[in-house]
Amino acid sequence: MAAAAGPERPQVVAHVQQALSYTLFDCKWVPRSARLLCLGSAARGTGVVQLYELRAGRLELLREIEKAKPIKCGTFGAASLQQRYLATGDFGGSLNVWNLEAPEIPVYSVKGHKEIINSIDGVGGLGIGEGAPEIVTGSRDGTVKVWDPRQKDTPVANMEPVQGESKRDCWTVAFGNAYTQEERVVCAGYDNGDIKLFDLKTMSLRWETNIKNGVCSVEFDRKDVNMNKLVATSLEGKFHVFDMRTQHPTKGFASVSEKAHKSTIWQVRHLPQNRDIFMTSGGAGSLHLWKYEYPAQRSKKDSEGAEMGVAGSVSLLQNVTLSTQPISSLDWSPDKKGLCVCGAFDQTVRVLIVTKLNKV
Amino acid sequence: MIINHSFWEQTHCLKDKITCHLFVVPAAVFLLIRMKNYKTNKDTRKTYHGITVNGTSMTKKEKVFIATREKEKGNEAFASGDYMEAVTYYTRSISVLPTAAAYNNKAQAEIKLQDWDSALQDCEKVLDMEPNNVKALMRRATVNNQLKNYETAIEDLNKVLCIEPENAVAKKNLLETEKKLKGLKPVSKTEGKGKRILIEEIEDSEGSEERGENTEECGRSSGDKGRRQAAGPAAMGSAQRKAQGAKAEGREQRRDPAGTADPKGTAEEGAQRPEQQGEADGYSNGEGARGSPAEQQPPGAHGDGSTSLPPAAAELKREGNELFKGGQFGEAVLRYSEAIEHVVGLGEQIPDDLSILYSNRAACYLKEGNCSDCIQDCNRALELQAFSLKPLLRRAMAYESMERYRQAYVDYKTVLQIDSSIQAANDSVNRITKTLIDQDGSSWREKLPPIPVVPVAAQRHRWDGGNFTSEVKPSNTTDTNGEEQLQMNREKAEEEFKTLKNEGNDFVKNGKYEEAVNKYSECMKLNDKECTIYTNRALCYLKLYKYEEAKQDCDHVLQIEDSNIKAFYRRALAYKGLQNYQASVDDLNKVLLIDPNILEAKNELEQVTQLLNLGSSAVTGSLQKQRKKITIQEVTESDEQEEGQFAASEDVVTDDDTSKEEVQKSTPLKTSEKLTISEPSNAYDFGQIINVVNANKDKVACADLLTITDPKKLPVLLSNKLEVETFLIFIQSLEYYVLGKDPSLVYQHLFYLSKAERFKVVLGLLSKNEKEQVQQLFDLLAENQNHQYSSEDLESLKKVYEL
Repeated sequence: MAAAAGPERPQVVAHVQQALSYTLFDCKWVPRSARLLCLGSAARGTGVVQLYELRAGRLELLREIEKAKPIKCGTFGAASLQQRYLATGDFGGSLNVWNLEAPEIPVYSVKGHKEIINSIDGVGGLGIGEGAPEIVTGSRDGTVKVWDPRQKDTPVANMEPVQGESKRDCWTVAFGNAYTQEERVVCAGYDNGDIKLFDLKTMSLRWETNIKNGVCSVEFDRKDVNMNKLVATSLEGKFHVFDMRTQHPTKGFASVSEKAHKSTIWQVRHLPQNRDIFMTSGGAGSLHLWKYEYPAQRSKKDSEGAEMGVAGSVSLLQNVTLSTQPISSLDWSPDKKGLCVCGAFDQTVRVLIVTKLNKV
Repeated sequence: MIINHSFWEQTHCLKDKITCHLFVVPAAVFLLIRMKNYKTNKDTRKTYHGITVNGTSMTKKEKVFIATREKEKGNEAFASGDYMEAVTYYTRSISVLPTAAAYNNKAQAEIKLQDWDSALQDCEKVLDMEPNNVKALMRRATVNNQLKNYETAIEDLNKVLCIEPENAVAKKNLLETEKKLKGLKPVSKTEGKGKRILIEEIEDSEGSEERGENTEECGRSSGDKGRRQAAGPAAMGSAQRKAQGAKAEGREQRRDPAGTADPKGTAEEGAQRPEQQGEADGYSNGEGARGSPAEQQPPGAHGDGSTSLPPAAAELKREGNELFKGGQFGEAVLRYSEAIEHVVGLGEQIPDDLSILYSNRAACYLKEGNCSDCIQDCNRALELQAFSLKPLLRRAMAYESMERYRQAYVDYKTVLQIDSSIQAANDSVNRITKTLIDQDGSSWREKLPPIPVVPVAAQRHRWDGGNFTSEVKPSNTTDTNGEEQLQMNREKAEEEFKTLKNEGNDFVKNGKYEEAVNKYSECMKLNDKECTIYTNRALCYLKLYKYEEAKQDCDHVLQIEDSNIKAFYRRALAYKGLQNYQASVDDLNKVLLIDPNILEAKNELEQVTQLLNLGSSAVTGSLQKQRKKITIQEVTESDEQEEGQFAASEDVVTDDDTSKEEVQKSTPLKTSEKLTISEPSNAYDFGQIINVVNANKDKVACADLLTITDPKKLPVLLSNKLEVETFLIFIQSLEYYVLGKDPSLVYQHLFYLSKAERFKVVLGLLSKNEKEQVQQLFDLLAENQNHQYSSEDLESLKKVYEL
């Protein structure tokens, strides 16, 4: 195990800390820059967007924008690199796309959901993912909607339970499989432990499973490759890694699970420079860095000759406790390997440096 | 870190490609319906379409960006071993912007996929762009090597050496290729395979292409070295395996000369033993053992030294034996036939040698499955030499495979009269008896052809090596009443013996060792020649901690049979119980000398050696451990004997997984029932107990559990279920309850706990408080310093626990 190798293992170093005056829900690096965004809710019930820049070992506030509704989540995933428009989901259920240079009015706005948008993800922008830029939102109203910022008012796809079935709170959404113009999937995790995989090409429910506890975060290791791995984290401190390469007709995808944190795992984020390394953030203010190791053979034939996947194993590379409060958001810098930002409920944003990632 | 993005403003082409699905599927509301039989589009998913990226309207920088990104995706796929996918992304990268690096990587992935032609093309494209690209040259050489174009491969390798004279890999490959070219060595597959993995680093390109390439080139040789080192152990592994195989053969061979060196009578005997063993293997393992070295030992082991065959026939026979050993039974038949013709043609009277030739040919026929010819040859051999063991045994096997059970039964019975210790015959008799009872009902015996009575002279324990001429024919028809009576008695005694033995074995299985000892003792009254009874009784004594008695039984066996592996092993355990560790080590070494593959013996040896080193003060500990030791093989079958046991121990070695299971399964016999918590036999049991312990936070119970659990088994028992709670309750129980009684046990537990699978993970998850608990335990352990572990041991263990 790599963790045994003493000084050789990656270290997580808190580089900069910045206390904030509001509740931080999400933080994001601005692509191709040393700037980061903090999204949250001010005490008086308004939404806050702050733009910081990393300068000489500290965070300098460049801009602060206040909006009517608290902002829960944001993404640059569907924006082109030159525009870098930010898409946000707020407590009111609205999806807004902002030009941060001119944030007074949104570039795109739609009241997509009846209740809070818990999670948002984008694909097709930043050179990541083939096909059109799209945004997916998951909301407490139980629906998952896919939006194209070029199409006003209506979603391009809406995934909701049929009439009469109970609506579950959707906590997390993620794009994946966007490796050709046509292929694309959305994975959604719900409060009852359901994980559903929607195929946007065939417009069907491709797979679903239940991991027994509320799904706090799902992420594909890469959005723009033929589905490889999916990590899903849960309320009670376990996370599951699914090998998404081989789908068995009845058994679905093979998975390995690991119980790491003693509390909820709020977030999982894969290292943009190495898809087999990911970080999870825990409810007790801890961060865990993991590495996935593939099995010798990724698929095998079952007794009926159908292909089924074989799960690998995960090993803990490092862990660190930064706060006493949950770390609710996490984002790796897409440009600098090992640079990472996380926001915790102790109203602090921290920039971290993870060392020796090239050695694992 | 801030990058100027002005170039992005030059074009908006990416945005304008509107070809995606959202216009194929109307922007309508999609209701999530639980479709059980949703359509899978797996076929399309497997074939990669959209393999090219339309890059016509992109600027140069965009192209570089996209191409780099696709290449990185390819590198990641390559790293995870998905070469198909990697090729796809490299192709896409190339379709946007052809770069040498992408072609080069693609070539490597194609080499992995053994797509030699495409790899060759890609290498050539790289070399068109960069004629001196070392990696491409190396790869092209590899491909050409595979395509058997050795000259071109050598050319490329020479070129590499011109550019990089110190390139060790190139040198090595060049040497190998030259060898192949000269045809000095036949082309070996392994070499080819070894070559393909030599250069496989993938160019990653953070930053600009050129820089990336250069740095890679610098780092390359070291990378190669690392990789070769990694490949090293693998090669060594297979070499070791080969060596082991060779050893196994060597073992058999070693036994042989010992036999042949003796005077003729014993030579026959000595030669027969491995053969029987082989055949017993063949029986118990079925197809699996066919062709194993043990089985192929020898028809010809029959005293080559003292043969009276004419030289030509002897030579033919030798060749035949060789071929038989090599598994070429058809060829061997031809040789033997020639030899037989030769001998018959000479008209000489050498019935015993001729009999051996027939017998050997029968063995070949048997291997080929030609049962009728086998029977014919056996008949001839037996005509020439009645009551010869091997032809009888072979005929019995042939009959059995032809489902002529009655004849087979008779032959096996005859064999047993000659030598009652042949396991294969014993097993077969039992099996056939069952079949015959099924077939003929309770009166099956009446339908049997008469069993010939073996003359006293031919019985093995009185074997004098005398020759039997055809005069001593089976006296089927001339059986007198008296003889029949005699046989009835013998059979009766045999049966009684068998029932007693089986009862004994059953008692052992149920853990009633006292009763088993009684049964075995009764058995001995009937027949004191059977070693198995002694070894079994020794086992019971071991279980009852009557080490002295166990030792005596083993001594007795070893007097009769000086290489009884089981007796050695059990005596070793007995010595261990008697705290005579030196003698125990000696015996274990003997066991390993006879069969180096017996894991239990190895483990035991390790442990006893430790004990030996620790001195005699470990009495209590060793007594405790004694209980849990795993003997080579429990009494499982109704009969057990040396051969059977060899087969079993071989099983253990060949099939690692099952052996582990067996080891685990065999433990429940030894749980001590007096304790409230019984010793867990496997990970599941252990897990159950731990769950209960955890639920109740019952440290006393946990301490009990740890006391009766062998620390060595801890990693196995924990399997991958080690959790923080479990870890903590272990630490606490060890501290509060075990430490006072037996600090060395605590040390052992801590030591083996650190070997458990999820140890590092759990360690990583410990909070400060919890770590302090562990520290505290270590402190206490240091205070209770005991000569069974040194302070250095403790310090190093502390490091493992990251304290």
